[in-house]
Amino acid sequence: MIRTFVERFLLVAFAAFLVSVPWVVPVIANKFWVSVIAEILIWSIFAASVNLLFGYVGLLSFGQALFFGFGMYGVGIGIDQLHLSFWSAFAFGVSAAMAMALITGIFAVRLTWHYFAIITIVFSLIFYFLAVRLKPLTGGDDGINFSLPPVFSFGATRYSLTDQTFQYFFILAIFAICFYLMYLVTRSPLGRAFLAIRENDLRASLIGLNVYVLRLIAFVMAGFLAGVSGALFAFFGRYASATYMFYHVSGDGVVWAIVGGAGTLFGPVVGTTLFIFIRELVSTHWEHHSLIVGVMAILVVMLAPKGLVGLWREGLSRIGEQKTSSELNAKARLRSQP
Amino acid sequence: MAKKQTRRSFLKTALAGGVAAGTANLTLMRDLYAQASGPIVIGHHCDLTGVISSWGYWHDKAAKAAVEIINQGGGIAGRRVELATEDTESNPASGARKLRNLIERSNAEFVVGSVHSGVMLSAIPIASELKTIYFSTGEATEATGAKGTRYSFRTGTDTYSIAAASMPWCVENFGKVWSIIYADYAWGQSTNQESKHFIEKAGGKTLASIPVPLDTKDFVPYLAQIPPETEVLLPAFIGSLSVAFYTQAKTMGLDKKMKMFSSSASIESIAPDDIQGAAEGVYFFENFPRMLKAKDDEYHREFIKRVGIDDVHAREVGSQRVMDKSHGWQAWEDIFAIKQAIEASGYKTRKDVEGVIKALEGMEMKNSIGHPQGDKLIRKEDHCGIIDCYISRVEGGKLEVKKRIPKEELAKNMPLRHNLSQLPV
Repeated sequence: MIRTFVERFLLVAFAAFLVSVPWVVPVIANKFWVSVIAEILIWSIFAASVNLLFGYVGLLSFGQALFFGFGMYGVGIGIDQLHLSFWSAFAFGVSAAMAMALITGIFAVRLTWHYFAIITIVFSLIFYFLAVRLKPLTGGDDGINFSLPPVFSFGATRYSLTDQTFQYFFILAIFAICFYLMYLVTRSPLGRAFLAIRENDLRASLIGLNVYVLRLIAFVMAGFLAGVSGALFAFFGRYASATYMFYHVSGDGVVWAIVGGAGTLFGPVVGTTLFIFIRELVSTHWEHHSLIVGVMAILVVMLAPKGLVGLWREGLSRIGEQKTSSELNAKARLRSQP
Repeated sequence: MAKKQTRRSFLKTALAGGVAAGTANLTLMRDLYAQASGPIVIGHHCDLTGVISSWGYWHDKAAKAAVEIINQGGGIAGRRVELATEDTESNPASGARKLRNLIERSNAEFVVGSVHSGVMLSAIPIASELKTIYFSTGEATEATGAKGTRYSFRTGTDTYSIAAASMPWCVENFGKVWSIIYADYAWGQSTNQESKHFIEKAGGKTLASIPVPLDTKDFVPYLAQIPPETEVLLPAFIGSLSVAFYTQAKTMGLDKKMKMFSSSASIESIAPDDIQGAAEGVYFFENFPRMLKAKDDEYHREFIKRVGIDDVHAREVGSQRVMDKSHGWQAWEDIFAIKQAIEASGYKTRKDVEGVIKALEGMEMKNSIGHPQGDKLIRKEDHCGIIDCYISRVEGGKLEVKKRIPKEELAKNMPLRHNLSQLPV
């Protein structure tokens, strides 16, 4: 009861904060932080893709950067070379990421644990090196930069991401849609089937679940989330680069999801927020900020295996249990009185 | 017992938060333009760590020295200059983030940019949107070409201008039959493409273009692909790959069979006498001669003194570091170019940036303490630096200038490809 109340209150406060960011943050801090929060929202979707696979299906992927990169290059190539409109480029990027997830998933989801992790790294590396070499298409290691087409135009009125407030709300809207979809999936029969596979894939198959197909579905869905985040990041940075296809980007997503709390809806948001804030606060003064990330990741994995959200929930549950047991004790005392 | 959260309750909760904040209607905006009399903040988007940090170190040093001179002389238009430096980590992802940091957090009004091609190309769209002038110091021709904007400028050279300046003289004097061996990434590919074009334009021909992967340790399989009838070989490598190439090419006796000519980037931050004669006899393009005697004037001497290098190898006094002298000068001169344009346009706040852009377009800079590399021009149409260039040869471990290519000749050899001055501000 307490947990539900507190979590609902926090969700309202979180939503209120996110909607007020473009007005409140420049006053209390600096306009720059609006961009940082927009970036956190994008990377949270990316961490959610890792979370969907690891937290709900039990597949640890180090290849999500591949789909992030495809989403990103879909937008970059779509706008720069194919001269697509905003929405067509967006759809092109996300479709490319999903198609690549389907192709690689057909091979990858046959494997589990470290074999699965290794094959996802291998796919990521193959396409990273291809992207670096195919300069006419991808811009090589220089990448592709592009000018943004408008998101909507009504006659002379144009809405474009070059307006930073509009850009922030556009990213927030996509973030909300992605997390709402995640919420729906994790509470659907499909989500329960994912959990069954995570807990014991043999038992899941014995009760009639097609483990291979379900893992493939989860892999493509995670590819969708990574593709959306990659496409958004390309719009946000007006740039696409092979750098983002490298597997260390996937590693960031894994750390964010695990530290935040794998298997929880908002765990990736917590992890991503924490580490991006640390990066922004520390990197200006100390170039080795990633050391802090490493130490924190080790501490969380050792002391709070369910991540920060798991730790938080355990704490709230304990308070709830203490309250319930003290109420029961009080009732028992009342009953025992003559 | 915990109440189960349904789709409806999830949406209700989230929307409640949204409405609560929306109705707050906070109309508190900062005036971005309220600093007309304070210091002028110039951002330095500098590659202090990562693959190109051996160059970034010098850009940082040069920019700081330039700001010190300007402040000693009364600042820019009577306003003190503050230099805000952010490390790009030689990585486009970090670079893009750090650029926002410079402009939005440190309030940098102008930015002296990265030498890393990927970083500067990722920076230009952001700088342009945030209406901030960005000077590229690297060689990716796109920065002031296909991907350039009204806000992107350079005072130095790129792969296009290097090939345009050097190839006519090189083809005439070294030979007409060329081969190119290059590091297989964007800079190497661009050098290959531009050089090939200008070799053919000058009446030469390219027998082979050999890409070499970046992680190569053994050059022998690639050196073996060079056609024996090659008269001139153009290697395009940077840093440790460059050292490995010259060492192995020397071992195979390639320097006795053909002439070699390369860009300054191949020998930047490397003193020829540190690599045991491996680059002896090789010709290099330079745009700021490493040896003082090739341009011996008070401004060059002051530059050497302020940056703290010797006048032969451009080696740091008291250490083994060697300056990337053909690139590092831009971090110094770009700040003086900004000063000149601000003072010419009467710039006060960010609102006046268009005036600075117009002042920079076609701006001439005189050989001076602000421009120790020499007289130069930022060409109006493509925002490119039109400068004197040099072709030097490694002799006795020193880069001896053999040919000076005046800026007028560079401009003549380098037809316009893009007109950035017609783009909207």
